[in-house]
Amino acid sequence: MLTLHNVNSFYGRSQALHDLSFEAPDGQIVAILGRNGVGKTTLLRTIMGLTDRSEGRIDLGGQDIGVLPTFARARAGIAYVPQGRMIIPDFTIRDNILMGGFAAGGARHIPEIVPELFPYLMDNLDRPGGVLSGGQQQQLAIARALACKPKILLMDEPTEGIQPNIVQQIEDSIIRLNRELGLTILLVEQNVDFAKRAAASFAMVENGTVVASGAIGTLTDDLVSRHMAI
Amino acid sequence: MFETLFIGLSLTSVLLLIALGLSITYGAMGVINMAHGELVMIGAYTAVLSGIYLGFNIFAAIPLAFLTAALLGLLIERVVIRRLYGRIIDTLLATWGVAIILQQLIRLEFGMTFFGIRIQGLGPGLQQMRVPSYLMQPYEFAGIMIQPYRTFIIVVTILLTLLTWFLMYRTSIGVQIRAIMRNPQMAAACGIDVRRVSAMTFAYGSGLAGIAGVLLAGFRTVMPEMGANVVVDGFLVVVVGGVGSLLGTVLSAGLLGQINGIVSVLYNDIIARAVVFAVVIGIILWRPNGLFSFRSR
Repeated sequence: MLTLHNVNSFYGRSQALHDLSFEAPDGQIVAILGRNGVGKTTLLRTIMGLTDRSEGRIDLGGQDIGVLPTFARARAGIAYVPQGRMIIPDFTIRDNILMGGFAAGGARHIPEIVPELFPYLMDNLDRPGGVLSGGQQQQLAIARALACKPKILLMDEPTEGIQPNIVQQIEDSIIRLNRELGLTILLVEQNVDFAKRAAASFAMVENGTVVASGAIGTLTDDLVSRHMAI
Repeated sequence: MFETLFIGLSLTSVLLLIALGLSITYGAMGVINMAHGELVMIGAYTAVLSGIYLGFNIFAAIPLAFLTAALLGLLIERVVIRRLYGRIIDTLLATWGVAIILQQLIRLEFGMTFFGIRIQGLGPGLQQMRVPSYLMQPYEFAGIMIQPYRTFIIVVTILLTLLTWFLMYRTSIGVQIRAIMRNPQMAAACGIDVRRVSAMTFAYGSGLAGIAGVLLAGFRTVMPEMGANVVVDGFLVVVVGGVGSLLGTVLSAGLLGQINGIVSVLYNDIIARAVVFAVVIGIILWRPNGLFSFRSR
């Protein structure tokens, strides 16, 4: 279980999260919803330790990981699929995936589920990551996160800016990772329909804090229009 | 002609060793280390002092200088650079300060001159490293005069370049270094201990500078200011080659070293210097990121 207690987070002098509290029960997909710029990405980056500074407690299975450097959080079982994918264009697909293995400890290898989920990647292991399309790069970023052997996967708008035929594949693979591997997933999502289909619970973010949360069944149209409509 | 190229090649070699260290530390850590030249100087003094007090010859001095410079580099990283990550101008100034301190330490014989104690091999004067005579005596091979010391420099450089290539491209630590060069945040999010790996990279780059110092001591006089001159050349090589590119650094050192060597034989050192600068300016105008660069900012 990942729990955040009164977390504040900062970029330089500007505060991006304000007293944010929230919990993600084990084995659930939690949808992080809200308009652009309210702090959803910052929330994930704060959990990963990638903002300039943060305060408050970030608890993973009884351990306060909020005081750890980023690499130790990754080794504690948190993997990050960032916005914009951030794969390394001149590394081969294999090296990109194996990069995640530094968080897993021991010999680095490609997770067993990757060939099932993303056969295209397995057929092109020696090509550079940069030649892939956006959707394939997203798959690569997910494969890399899986190589971290995570307990919790942080995914930042995994289907944003991706061609429609791959969106479905990626959505299905996210649901499979949760149902079959039991991965806890924090899913930042703009697509409410997909969030309702995949997630067990949600957290609505506004002005750097959680303004509503609960089981996904309690995500009413009223909440959506109040906090997400533009 | 062959001999000219050969002299150029040996200059290239020392330049390459200096630039390799700069290139990987700048690439991996974004740190412009102005004290890199002083690490070269420390390497040279390690050779001089170990020759005087321990009776070491150049072969024993090389590993000792590597260790000395690497440990000193590690210390500089811990004490100064670690606190200034991401602040490039501040690190530039701070490491320049470190460079001045190191120069003065040697010049003032670690402060002992204040107590009237002289340490042989230190001080403001010129020092010499003794090179075994079999490395100095030129011999003829197939009608060409071979300079054994210059050959030795080239061989050592080739071996160290291969070692560096192996470390960077064939080992786990190399993957981590290259990942940090490209995206430090993502590297950390993948479980790479960026600080530890950076510190080790910095120590390795410093060690290479130390070895360059020993090789340089064989054909130049050793003095406290010697580092300041070579670091500029090192930066030229890095800028022309492209930051963090091993191949770029090798080719760029070759290009600049040879231009310098050939022009100084045809005309003189001053003109050679001017030509090198002109070429560097031309290349930077043509390719601002250097000849080989994996990223365009």
